[in-house]
Amino acid sequence: MSLSSDTLTHEGYPEAVETYFAKGWTDGLPVIPPTAEAVAATLAAAGLEAGEVLGAVPTRDVTVTAEKAAVNAVMAGCLPEYFPVVVASVRALLQPLANCHSTTATLAGAAHAVIVNGPVRQQLDIVGGQACMGPGFRSNATIGRALRLVIRNVCRTVPGVLDRASFSWPLRYSFCFAENEEYSDWTPLHVLHGYARGDSAVTVMSVLRLLQATEFAPESEAILETISETGRLYGMPIDSFVGDARGVVVVIGTEHHRRLLDDGWTKEAVRDTLFERMTKPTAGKYDKQVILAAPDNILIVAAGGPGIAQSQLIMPHLAAPTHELVR
Amino acid sequence: MALITLDPTNGAFGSSATIAMAPRPATLAGQTLGIIANGLGQSEIMFDALAAELTKWDDLAGSVKVVKPSVSVPPWPEQWTHIIDNATVAVTGFGGCGSCSTRSMRDAIDLEAAGIPAVCVVHIALVPAVQALCKLVGAPDYPFVVVDYPYNPTGVWSADECNAMAAQVIDAVRIRLTA
Repeated sequence: MSLSSDTLTHEGYPEAVETYFAKGWTDGLPVIPPTAEAVAATLAAAGLEAGEVLGAVPTRDVTVTAEKAAVNAVMAGCLPEYFPVVVASVRALLQPLANCHSTTATLAGAAHAVIVNGPVRQQLDIVGGQACMGPGFRSNATIGRALRLVIRNVCRTVPGVLDRASFSWPLRYSFCFAENEEYSDWTPLHVLHGYARGDSAVTVMSVLRLLQATEFAPESEAILETISETGRLYGMPIDSFVGDARGVVVVIGTEHHRRLLDDGWTKEAVRDTLFERMTKPTAGKYDKQVILAAPDNILIVAAGGPGIAQSQLIMPHLAAPTHELVR
Repeated sequence: MALITLDPTNGAFGSSATIAMAPRPATLAGQTLGIIANGLGQSEIMFDALAAELTKWDDLAGSVKVVKPSVSVPPWPEQWTHIIDNATVAVTGFGGCGSCSTRSMRDAIDLEAAGIPAVCVVHIALVPAVQALCKLVGAPDYPFVVVDYPYNPTGVWSADECNAMAAQVIDAVRIRLTA
């Protein structure tokens, strides 16, 4: 396979790791030195030519090729078989409505969530259950990290330079998890958005806030009200560019999921009820309308493990959730 | 044993100018000022004040303004056409948000490429970002106008502050837009 990247020669592995630090090509953690052999294997796993264009950031005149995505995926620690998910994530990020320039350069320091659906979750052990949003799982950690390294190294989002985040935050190291499709018969997220159940797909969502909706009461009514109130704490930024495509992700935790199932709630019914409550007019500083065009703009995802009676709300920056098939 | 690895970037940041600046008029008299406002905070008010001052002191013929659909995106195509068809000089900005300021800088560079002399107004907090953007897109030395503190970067200004900022930048804007 013909690769076009410039090469670097090192005396050994430790020197290579230090060189990547010195050149500002890491997220502050060591990377796997990307050899041509590893990059070629990664590209082959997705059946991609090195020069295939995955997308662009027009404001920056940046084009992202499969080769550059593969180099960064190797650096992140991805196994070659993870690469189709990385590719889908990059493509989703570079869709116009994901507003990559805005969400990666903003003072607000937005992160990006990669949510994975379909059989690829099990094939790659992408975790959607206990502790799925945190460390400990190679596929979750490295797929999310690969997307961030592409954002840094290819899209040029370097802190203090094009990345203007005043604080930034830990989710910018990596944020990837799967939907727990097996917990119940709820319709998986990707199926609700037009994919076949046997397809695998990713959803990329900008993350301005990750809000915990904790409700220990057993009643479904209380759970849904707490989720709605949590979303309404800050509302969400809006603009006419994203328009009716703006959305929020509500990750229903296992304890809440269990209570909702006991009371016969489908995912669609949860979505419709939350839409009604979250879009009510603003009533105060910490009771703000979440302005959404339709119930479909609330993306319900089942994930997490048993224990805390909590769900999570992923509130966006100025971008819409975008979806891509894992090919 | 030597280990050979690959560069994860698209290469070094560009440093050579590939975008030519549009020819400048000798004065602003009779010119029409295009304003591409990013819509952040009170940026529109500041630009209105600037246009009023330039009309008063420089005999500007008039102004046309668009407010973009989001702070960090290009104008809608019809907005772009409106500016290109009517403006003879232009300003972009102001206030950021890093992505807002860099996008406004790109708007100014795109105007230059379309033959319209332009200048982006930038807050000092965002100067590293706009300089990086200029290098990335082949305009490393493209000049811009800087507003400093005590004005905050994010467009939350009073009407008096908008007027004061307009008065503060008017000389620099004039210099950047004329030969």
